[in-house]
Amino acid sequence: MAPLTIQQATKSFGGVQVLHGVTIDIDDGEFVVLVGPSGCGKSTLLRLIAGLEDITSGGILIDGKDVSRLHPKDRDIAMVFQSYALYPHMTVAENMGFSLRMRGAKSDEQRRKVGQAAGILDLDALLDRYPRQLSGGQRQRVAMGRAIVRDPKVFLFDEPLSNLDAKLRVQMRSEIRTLHKKLKTTIVYVTHDQIEAMTMADKIVVMRGGHVEQIGSPMTLYDAPANVFVAGFIGSPAMNLLKGRIGADAQSFDLDAGGALQFTSALDARPGQSVILGIRPEDVTLSDNGSPATVKLIEPTGADLHVNLDVAGSDITAVFHERLSLKEGQEVSLELPADCVHLFDAETETRLSA
Amino acid sequence: MVRWQRGLWLFFLPSFGLLALVLLWPLSYAVYLSFFDYYLGSGERTFIGLGNYVDLLTEARLWNSMRTTIIIAFGSVAVEFLVGFALALALYRLHGSAKVFSVLLFLPHIVTPVVAALFLKWMLASNWGFVDATLLTFNIEPPDWLGDPVWAKVSVILADAWVFTPLVMMVLYAALQGLDTSLLEAAQIDGASSWNTLRHVIVPALIPAIIFVISIRLMDVFRFFDLIYVLTGGGPGTATETITIYTYQLGFRMLEVGKASALGVITLIVVAMLLLTINRGLNKAYRGGDR
Amino acid sequence: MSAQSYPGRRRTTWVIFIALCVFTFINLTPLIWAVLTSLKDPRDAFTIPPTIIFEPTLKYHIEVWTENDFVFYLMNSLIISAGTVFISVPAGSLAAYALSRIPRRSAGPILSALFTIRMFPHMLLAIPFFVMGTFLNMIDTYPLLILALVAINQPFTIWLMHGFFLEIPRDLDEAAAIDGCSNWQAFRIVILPLARPGMTVAALFSLLLSYNEFLFALILTGTDTKTLPVAIASFGGEDISSWSLSAAGAIGIMLPIVLVMLLLQRHLVRGLTAGAVKG
Repeated sequence: MAPLTIQQATKSFGGVQVLHGVTIDIDDGEFVVLVGPSGCGKSTLLRLIAGLEDITSGGILIDGKDVSRLHPKDRDIAMVFQSYALYPHMTVAENMGFSLRMRGAKSDEQRRKVGQAAGILDLDALLDRYPRQLSGGQRQRVAMGRAIVRDPKVFLFDEPLSNLDAKLRVQMRSEIRTLHKKLKTTIVYVTHDQIEAMTMADKIVVMRGGHVEQIGSPMTLYDAPANVFVAGFIGSPAMNLLKGRIGADAQSFDLDAGGALQFTSALDARPGQSVILGIRPEDVTLSDNGSPATVKLIEPTGADLHVNLDVAGSDITAVFHERLSLKEGQEVSLELPADCVHLFDAETETRLSA
Repeated sequence: MVRWQRGLWLFFLPSFGLLALVLLWPLSYAVYLSFFDYYLGSGERTFIGLGNYVDLLTEARLWNSMRTTIIIAFGSVAVEFLVGFALALALYRLHGSAKVFSVLLFLPHIVTPVVAALFLKWMLASNWGFVDATLLTFNIEPPDWLGDPVWAKVSVILADAWVFTPLVMMVLYAALQGLDTSLLEAAQIDGASSWNTLRHVIVPALIPAIIFVISIRLMDVFRFFDLIYVLTGGGPGTATETITIYTYQLGFRMLEVGKASALGVITLIVVAMLLLTINRGLNKAYRGGDR
Repeated sequence: MSAQSYPGRRRTTWVIFIALCVFTFINLTPLIWAVLTSLKDPRDAFTIPPTIIFEPTLKYHIEVWTENDFVFYLMNSLIISAGTVFISVPAGSLAAYALSRIPRRSAGPILSALFTIRMFPHMLLAIPFFVMGTFLNMIDTYPLLILALVAINQPFTIWLMHGFFLEIPRDLDEAAAIDGCSNWQAFRIVILPLARPGMTVAALFSLLLSYNEFLFALILTGTDTKTLPVAIASFGGEDISSWSLSAAGAIGIMLPIVLVMLLLQRHLVRGLTAGAVKG
């Protein structure tokens, strides 16, 4: 258990820079999720922390000590690989005890610690099996068992759930969360799945193109995305983003695509300012005196109703929790509450209002 | 290399040490020797610069052996490729019984080359060999397979083909099995004839394997030694004397090791240029031909 | 291709089948003829037309294995082949492993260089070996031929093993590093056990290559170390009166090969594509 600090970390492969000065502070015992589209550098960052790649410049501090020049085995970290990377010729017990064995632990100590970890992860019955005899979920658990046996300062998870089916993924999500509550070890967890990030993290780091876009708690990212990218990345279905200009009365919004949206109260921006206006599908409601819209497509998910609407030539998605009897082609009127609107500068794409 | 992997460089030491000792050093020594007039019998050695090269390039025997090499090389590789490809396609088509055939057809290739040459020699030996004995039974006067300059070349080509067609067949058959069957099905649905499927779907997909197999066969055929040595010894006269056999004669019969080294270097250059040309040509034909 | 059996297609399949049968038979006649010859008494061996039906005799096979120097040459062959394998495969495997783990831009040129070495005419290597061997007084000793065979074997072994190591995920090396292994420990404890089948295949192929090798054996051996191919080539070529005996010897040479081939079956194509059995 230890705090982890990443200071101005950069990484280049040959001439290509994949990380541009990333700085992240992670508290002791925090569960941090690195999330972003593929190629954003999140896995590279994780591998830098593990020591599997050399840092080009900057530092990595675990428990206040710069480890960025150390061999992976000397960093006191453990890692769960996407492929699990279990040793095929060793039993579950041998796999889990391997790091202890390499560190010269006595065999009864190995057995005790493996037994403990197996107990936590419900693996007791499988200790003598080989990885090929296990299901995907069981392998996943062994990979975690291998990591926790050593009680390292930091756990690293590299997209650990991406090889599991949807149902198992949901189950493992909560198991990892429970495990973290129990062990209270600092975790850095990489995923491309924003739902995993939202449900598991104490703190999310959104990355794109080798830069950190925003760091914050899940709800901060959801409620106050720092820029258009984060706004579009977090939340499902994605936030509606519309380009346009604030109207003269600040209560309307002239869309670049043509037409205008009406709001009941003033928007928090200069009249005439060019902005990108974002509104989450779940904040859109139906009312009698809003902007006119046409229903284009209805997708019931069971619990919710996803509705695709045409508003003055622009597409807007809305999510309704109640069961509405809408028909495709129907004319409705939408209310877009001004206090739920996110405004971003059209040029810099950064958030305007607080 | 990543810091934690730096220890891997040590893994190269034994192998590269060996290669330097038994490959690079001798090869450089051979190149060095090629600049000397060096008769191993007397041990006398005089530096003559490019003398050996000039000698070789101006003598008829070299050009004769070069021509022979090229005839035999292209003859046998052509036979091997055509027959090997046809066999591979036939095996691919048969799938059920292909396994048995592939094993039987492969047998000649697992025979030690020297032994294969002996087998063929016993087949082709005049009068009592299987071929002659059979032909004589029907009162057909057989040609002198190994004693006539033209037939000797043909025999050598067929011998090489007998041993190496199975290799070509196996490599191409393996490549065929790796083909995406949906490609072939799509071609069938599009109404392509078998010939068109072969020409426009199968051959382009096999180009890498074809280049590979032709390249390694050409490389090998240029150092092709065992078969000719046992079958004809380069004869009659110098009718089947390839560059390799000529080098052998120079180096180990006449002990002119300097000149023989020069010939080895020339061979190397020829092979390298040939392979380069073939790779370029095939690549171009493939890119230009199909569009 | 699925074999739907509409009439035209089925007919072509039959034509192909019969053509293959005929071709296979013709293709195998030299082998069959050699086997028959080895079982013939001279009075059956020299006849026109060739005899197919005769009283077979195992006399010559027995003679080969008991009376002649065949066993001595076989031992030479085995010692030299085994020596080559014991040097070539471990060294080649280490290099191949490192090659499969370093970045591709470093590994690529090394692999191409190794492939280029394949292109070298063996004659160009045989000459300096012969000259140096003469100076060092090592002609007709095991080590000289073994070293020469290692030289032609090593690039092939590295290529073959490289393919096997590439199939072992790098994640395992990384997991091992995090678990506390040095590069050597990761190789020995984690990777090597997984590479063992591949090493067996490489060893068997190298064994074949060395066992079949003729040029270097011809030049670098003498009465003490002569290998089977050299012996049979000098013995079986000329004198037709010893045909039956030579044929029995030739078939004797094949026995170890057939054995190895049976073990190799599944990996045959792979070995071939890595550089062919006959280098």
